Amino acid sequence: MSAERVGLARERRPIPFLPEAVLAVVLIAAPFALPHVGFSFDLMERILNWGLLGLGFDLLFGAAGLLSFGQAAFYGTGGFVTAYLLINHVISSVWLALLIGTFWAGVFGLVVGWLAVRRIGIYFAMITLAFGEMSFFLENAPLSSYTGGENGLPGVPVPYLGPIHLVQGLPMYGLLAGFFFVGFVLARRILHSPFGAVLRAIRQNTARVEMLGHSVPLYKLAVFVIAALYSGIAGGLLGVFQSYMPPDAFTLDTSGQVVVQTVIGGVGTLIGPTVGAAVWLYLRDNLQMIPGIGALWKLILGLIFVALVIGLKRGICGEIIALFSRRPAAVEASGELEGDFAAEAPPPAPELPMRAPMVRALPEAPALRAINLAKHFGGLRAVDDVSFSVRTGSIHAVIGPNGAGKSTLFKMLLDEIAPTAGEVRLFGRRITGIGATRAAQLGIGKSNQLNQLFLDLTVADNIRVAALARRRGRFRIDVIRPANSIAVVERQVDVALRTVGLEHRADTPVHELPYGEKRRLEIGMALATGPNVLLLDEPLAGMSPAERIATRALIQEIGRTRTLLIVEHDMDAIFELAERITVLQEGRLLAEGTPEQIQGDDAVQTAYLGGLHAHEPA
Amino acid sequence: MPSGALLIAQAFNGLALGTLLALVSSGLTIILGTLGVLNFAHGALFMLGAYVIFVIAGQTGSFVLGLVVGGVFMLLAGVFIERVVIRLFYARPAEDQILVTFGIAIVLIEAVRAIFGGASQHVDVPSWAEGVTQLGFLIYPTYRLALIGIIAVLLIALYIVLYRTSVGLVVRAGIEDARMVGILGINVHRAFLLVFAIGVLAAGLAGMLYAPIVSVNPDMGADFLIESFVVIVIGGLGSYPGAVVGGIIAGEIISITSAFNSAYSQVMLYAVMALLLVLRPQGLFGAEGRV
Amino acid sequence: MQVSDRPDGVSRRNALRLGLGTVGALALPGLASVPGLAAETHAPVGTWPAGAQGDSVFIGITTPLTGPYSADGKDHQLGYELAIAEINAGGGTVAKWGLKGKGVLGKQIRYAITDTETKPNVAVQAQTRFISQNKAIMISGCVASSTAVALEELAQREKVLNMVGASGSNATTGQDCQRYAFRSQPSAYMVSKALVPVLVKQMGKALKVAYLTPDYTYGHSLFDSISGAGKADGWTVVSNQVVPLGTSDFSSALLNIANSGAQLFVNIAFGADAVASTKQAGQFGVLKKMKMTAPNISAFQAKEVGGGLMEGVYGTMDFWWTLEDKYPLAKDFVQAFHKKNNYYPRWDAHIGYAQTYVWALAVERANSFYPPDVIKALEASKSNPFDSTLGKVWYRAEDHQLVRPVPVLVGKVASAMKNPEDFYELVEVVPGEPLLPPPDMFGCHLGAYT
Repeated sequence: MSAERVGLARERRPIPFLPEAVLAVVLIAAPFALPHVGFSFDLMERILNWGLLGLGFDLLFGAAGLLSFGQAAFYGTGGFVTAYLLINHVISSVWLALLIGTFWAGVFGLVVGWLAVRRIGIYFAMITLAFGEMSFFLENAPLSSYTGGENGLPGVPVPYLGPIHLVQGLPMYGLLAGFFFVGFVLARRILHSPFGAVLRAIRQNTARVEMLGHSVPLYKLAVFVIAALYSGIAGGLLGVFQSYMPPDAFTLDTSGQVVVQTVIGGVGTLIGPTVGAAVWLYLRDNLQMIPGIGALWKLILGLIFVALVIGLKRGICGEIIALFSRRPAAVEASGELEGDFAAEAPPPAPELPMRAPMVRALPEAPALRAINLAKHFGGLRAVDDVSFSVRTGSIHAVIGPNGAGKSTLFKMLLDEIAPTAGEVRLFGRRITGIGATRAAQLGIGKSNQLNQLFLDLTVADNIRVAALARRRGRFRIDVIRPANSIAVVERQVDVALRTVGLEHRADTPVHELPYGEKRRLEIGMALATGPNVLLLDEPLAGMSPAERIATRALIQEIGRTRTLLIVEHDMDAIFELAERITVLQEGRLLAEGTPEQIQGDDAVQTAYLGGLHAHEPA
Repeated sequence: MPSGALLIAQAFNGLALGTLLALVSSGLTIILGTLGVLNFAHGALFMLGAYVIFVIAGQTGSFVLGLVVGGVFMLLAGVFIERVVIRLFYARPAEDQILVTFGIAIVLIEAVRAIFGGASQHVDVPSWAEGVTQLGFLIYPTYRLALIGIIAVLLIALYIVLYRTSVGLVVRAGIEDARMVGILGINVHRAFLLVFAIGVLAAGLAGMLYAPIVSVNPDMGADFLIESFVVIVIGGLGSYPGAVVGGIIAGEIISITSAFNSAYSQVMLYAVMALLLVLRPQGLFGAEGRV
Repeated sequence: MQVSDRPDGVSRRNALRLGLGTVGALALPGLASVPGLAAETHAPVGTWPAGAQGDSVFIGITTPLTGPYSADGKDHQLGYELAIAEINAGGGTVAKWGLKGKGVLGKQIRYAITDTETKPNVAVQAQTRFISQNKAIMISGCVASSTAVALEELAQREKVLNMVGASGSNATTGQDCQRYAFRSQPSAYMVSKALVPVLVKQMGKALKVAYLTPDYTYGHSLFDSISGAGKADGWTVVSNQVVPLGTSDFSSALLNIANSGAQLFVNIAFGADAVASTKQAGQFGVLKKMKMTAPNISAFQAKEVGGGLMEGVYGTMDFWWTLEDKYPLAKDFVQAFHKKNNYYPRWDAHIGYAQTYVWALAVERANSFYPPDVIKALEASKSNPFDSTLGKVWYRAEDHQLVRPVPVLVGKVASAMKNPEDFYELVEVVPGEPLLPPPDMFGCHLGAYT
């Protein structure tokens, strides 16, 4: 593959390391410029501390979409462990104490995360809140002999960095700025790594990520622990920098404040929490200094806050970034390109570089076999005792009137849902009960009836998430390398794009695509996981006649090198493409056979048309 | 080990506390269920109710008048907040909704502090409920008994509105699927407004009823906010019967635990919530599969 | 508590300084008459001499203006502001205290007040800023022992004098004591030793006592001190209900207390907790079954509780405004405060007011702002007590506790109140010195001077 072709799928980054460079400049200039506008050193140090805490939170929430109200639990753990070790002279090295504190924050994060990530949305938030409050209670009461209870732990010694005594002012600012910078660089790497790509996809559409073959719970747990580690080091640094570890590190207020600061500053921007902290703390410090304001500062701040939340939908940094990355609408051009795709026959697609390993449990096993599959929802029998086989390399269709149970059947074939009875075998191997993620890893994929795409990511990003599952298995913490740095993955993305004719759209955000192209992307994503068996759920749904022709050709092309199972209502397409057809009605198998057999079957006609001769008006 | 008599007394106590939590939480849960908004201002609205009755009962000397006028005030406050702020957030992500209600809470609390000062205000127990009542071995404040009765009436009234009127049907349908309700041509936004106002009313009434018992100060709502979160998790998010049963259960947890060791009474609530979220997140009455 | 943050080699220098310092203190009166001499012989310490150059000095004040203690915090702020205004203007009251004239040593006092939101961390942040940015020569203000402890630590580390605000815990002049911090409020131990004999006189010995103890250091401090003091008179603890801080519903604890058979109910709750627990104690009939005492009555408690629930309740406070009849400087304070703020000052205001004045006096006695000299002037006050709003007071050198009388009060019946704020009657103003604990009882080890 030549460099230009790989380049099509490359993420667009105009200047490498621009944010890091800008940050470095700002951090260096701040102590000289900001004091003149009311930022004391103490304030700047605090902002950086909140910013460090916020980096981890923004990875958890901004990237992965997990809103936690319990970061204080890890902030406090890191802080108190570090402070305790230093005050009681258990450890003399500040750096070692910080490391141990951070480690324990991570361990605690692992425990809480393991319990919390099973749940989503508000339930997840509530679990984190509960653990945050329980930690606060532990600090305040049972463990107060270690933590000082409501007094906290005063007397954390001021550290030395070699010969430099890190006192208040420039030396301590330098320490915090250094930690923050390293934390930021690391967070950016994580965000733009393959691991980060999966996280961002999880935020967009968790179910799809699972179906592509990534173990979503493990990814969530991993980012949760990462956020806990960031919280822990920030907590440890708090005690060190003010020589006092306060009990309010554990309060709900602290957890809430990091949420507030992140949303004000801009979710998902990494620097958002720092900007939010700067706004909040600066206003808090300086509003009070205005004569006559006194205790009203909080009221004023509350009003400003409400106004900011109402007005800035993406937060301060988010709005600024959006301002700079306005894209000209590229939608008008799509019409002609659509036509181009439709008019020419697609060139034979090159083979995908990565395919699922073809492992046969039994030498003569069919590609896919459904055995007495049934799915009951209470009294409703959505699928009832359905069995059929799909020959390897064939195109097999499943048809039936609406409500026949086709989509439910498909979900069982991938083990997206568990059957009430029966099982599914993939090349002779039972896959019922292993979960959609493992099934995807074994080489069975699906393109959905309703598009399940990652709307805010680019087309290439979407495909890449799929390809990464094939390359990296269910889970890998590869947080350092850039997401587009794995050559074989990039080749996979490229081939998949070409196959579905979207290579000219590689860098377009998916929400800008017209419907037909989204459908093709849907198929492309399923393709990019390199499946041996591909399920297509109504691939032609909603397409124009021209698009249908092209997509039928695409399906035929794809079917040449793998086994396909298609659900469709377009009978012409079915009869043209399929080698064998299974007909369902009201959850039961009605008929099975070649297209000719099915066309001639009375029972099928009755099911579809309600009987040729009945109910005709007189 | 506390005595049997003490445990029974605490169980009874838990009922009183529990009905109050039920009232506060029912407001929270119907707002969450229908509007999808987790109202972080709920505690501040509880506090607002307490101050409203402080002003009205203090001026007029009549607690009942305070409840009535205060109730109207809270409804209007709910309408105002929904129209001016909440309405802008229905299409916005959950965290924005949480944050704006959090901001409203700050504004309410600090405005009250600016007007009334930070010192606690005093609301008298109404004269018709003064003193204690002898219940067998237990001497119990008459007002708390009256409280159980009043709240029971209010909860029943709310039940009737939700389950026996067409407006309530719209609200319950909206809890299931707000979009669908809109597609059916029903003015969903009017229903939302009503739900929010009722939720605010519930919180405010709870604050009014509780005012004679506690210290009325700007920060009094914070504990109730967190406890009502726990209640709606126990009962099932969006479920009205869940809020009622969950409230009583939460009240019992707090009271019975304090019979053994007061220090643990609140944290026991969080532990139960965490346990429930891990094992049975839909709570008692929530729909399975919506997690 | 000592925190050594310098390598060992320097401690010898400290010891030397200490020796020189002692010699210097003995010779102080003589040296004091030579202005400027003290300044030339000292290396910089903390914000000195930077904060004392120029024609003004800066005091950093932290007080909770939002959050649960905001009412006390506001009162606290007003006390500081009155003292600073008076000292800057000079005049009659200032002269009565013994100060020379306008300002302190001729320098006007500038100050800033920050809201701590009732969080110790915010207080530390604010004072750190006042020290590093404004070169505060003295820091003060708090309404909670947790904040007090944190600020004491900060003061010692930064070598800036801390006149502790409102803090009653034994540990403040016990294990958390610092060379750079001085506390004026009576400690839990002193409160107990003042109150218990009065209660014994009223109710007799061999009492069954029930306690409501908020679960934090100060709460446990008071419980330990009172039950300890009562033991000698045959008091037994029949119930100790420990409740979390910020509890709003005390019914469980009160039920236990009501059924405990106690004759005396010691309500250690503070602030909003005191108000709620007292109201509920009334509602549960506890106050009819037994007498209640509030060892440390919150500043606005009687007004907030209402309904005559504080009638007949014994307790102590750092200060009550009717002390104006006993001490002329108290009268000046109460009258000036009432004129300016339209209500009678509470004890949070008193602490702010009195601590500021005593500090100013110490500076003028030391004839310098040099922290070790001011500290020594305060430590030497036993031989030369300060005239104050509480009569003659002095700081004990061993633990920096102000030795001062403890007012024991009882709630008045409504009909006996001469004006809407005349809530309490002064039962006894107990002299302070016999109330002191042995200096090492709570583990105080003062730190270094420099």
